[in-house]
Amino acid sequence: MTVKTLDLSLKAIRVLQDGSDPPEEGLLLPGWYVDPQTGQRIFYDPNSQKFYTLAGGVYIPLGYMNPAPKQVAVAPGDRLKVTISFKYTGPAVTGVTGYYCLGIYGTFGFDERLVQRTTFNLPQVTSPPASPNVSDSYTFTIPTGIGTNWDDIYVKIFGGSPGIAGEATTPYLFGYENALIIAGIQPNITEFKIADFAKV
Amino acid sequence: MALDIVLAPMALEPKTFNVGEKVRVTVSFKYVVGVNTTVKLLAGPYYTNILGKHLVSTCVGQAEIQLPASSTPADGTGTVDFILIAKSLGGIDNGTYGLRVWIEDTSAVAEQDNVIIVSGNTGSGDMFSAMLPMVMMLLMVGMIAPMTKQLGEGAEEE
Repeated sequence: MTVKTLDLSLKAIRVLQDGSDPPEEGLLLPGWYVDPQTGQRIFYDPNSQKFYTLAGGVYIPLGYMNPAPKQVAVAPGDRLKVTISFKYTGPAVTGVTGYYCLGIYGTFGFDERLVQRTTFNLPQVTSPPASPNVSDSYTFTIPTGIGTNWDDIYVKIFGGSPGIAGEATTPYLFGYENALIIAGIQPNITEFKIADFAKV
Repeated sequence: MALDIVLAPMALEPKTFNVGEKVRVTVSFKYVVGVNTTVKLLAGPYYTNILGKHLVSTCVGQAEIQLPASSTPADGTGTVDFILIAKSLGGIDNGTYGLRVWIEDTSAVAEQDNVIIVSGNTGSGDMFSAMLPMVMMLLMVGMIAPMTKQLGEGAEEE
C-alpha cells in the first residue's frame, strides 16, 4: 500500500534561550499585505512578527490554521505520512517533541481525534539557512472508525534540552483546514447537482 | 487585458407537468467512501411562502444508489422518479414549484426555485374552496336569524 504524504512548513524558529532574533526571511516591512492563498487583506507587525486581520476596529492575530494547499484522499487502512520542515538557527537541542494531530477544527478550537508524538534533535546552526534545514515526520495508519469530518491537521513542536517552548505555549504550530478527504464508512459527497429533470 | 470569468452551475429551465405525471430527476456528484455502500436519493417539489420552503411530501420519490468503495473522488450519478399526485388525492395544487433533490443522511442537497409548473387539477375543488366561506356565512345567518326573532318576540311580551 502506498504512503500518502502531507507536508507542513513551520517557517523559521529559534530556541528561547538563544535570545537572538530569528533569521530574517524576506524581512517583511510593517503594513498591509494580501494573502495569496485566500485573497484576505492582512497586516504585518514586525515587532510581534505576526500577521493580523482587522475586524470591527480590532486587530486580530491570524490563527495557526490555514487553508490547505492540497487535499489528500485517505481511507481506512491507508497510511498518511505528515512531514514538517523548518529553518532553524541556534544551538543543538536534543529530545524535541513533534506533536502530530488529526481532527476537527471549529469555532471552539481543535478537537484532537488522532494524536501521535515523535522525538527528534536539532543540530547546531550558526548562520541562518537559506532553506529549511530540519524536518521530521510521522506516518498515521487511518483507522476504520475515522469520521468523515476528521479532515483537519496540525503539528506543533516543543520541549527538548535546552527547551524551545512549552507544550501548551509553543508558538511553533501550524495546521491545514480541510486537508484530507476521508473515505470512511459514511460517503463524503461533493459537487452534488441536478443534471436534468423530465417527464417519463 | 483581464478576463473575468465566473463559473456557475447551469440553471434548469422551467418545465410544465400535468398532475399524475411522473418526473425523473438525474443528479451528478463526486464521492469518496471507504466501503461499498448504498445511499437513498430523494426528490420532490417544494413551494415557498413567508414561512420558508415547504416540501410537498406526498409527491416525494426515492431511489437507491450503489456507491462502490473509492478512496479518491469518483464520479457518481443517480436518477429518482416522483409522481405529481393530484390535489384531490391529497397531493399538489396547480402552480409553480421548486425542485429539491438530496441524499439521505448526508449533506448533499441541490434545489432550484420555480422550475416545476403544475397544471391539470380540475377546478371543482377550487370552486368549492372559494365558495366555502360564503356557504358557512349563509348557514350562520340561517341559524342566528331565528334566535334573533325569538329574542325580539320575548321583549315585546314583557
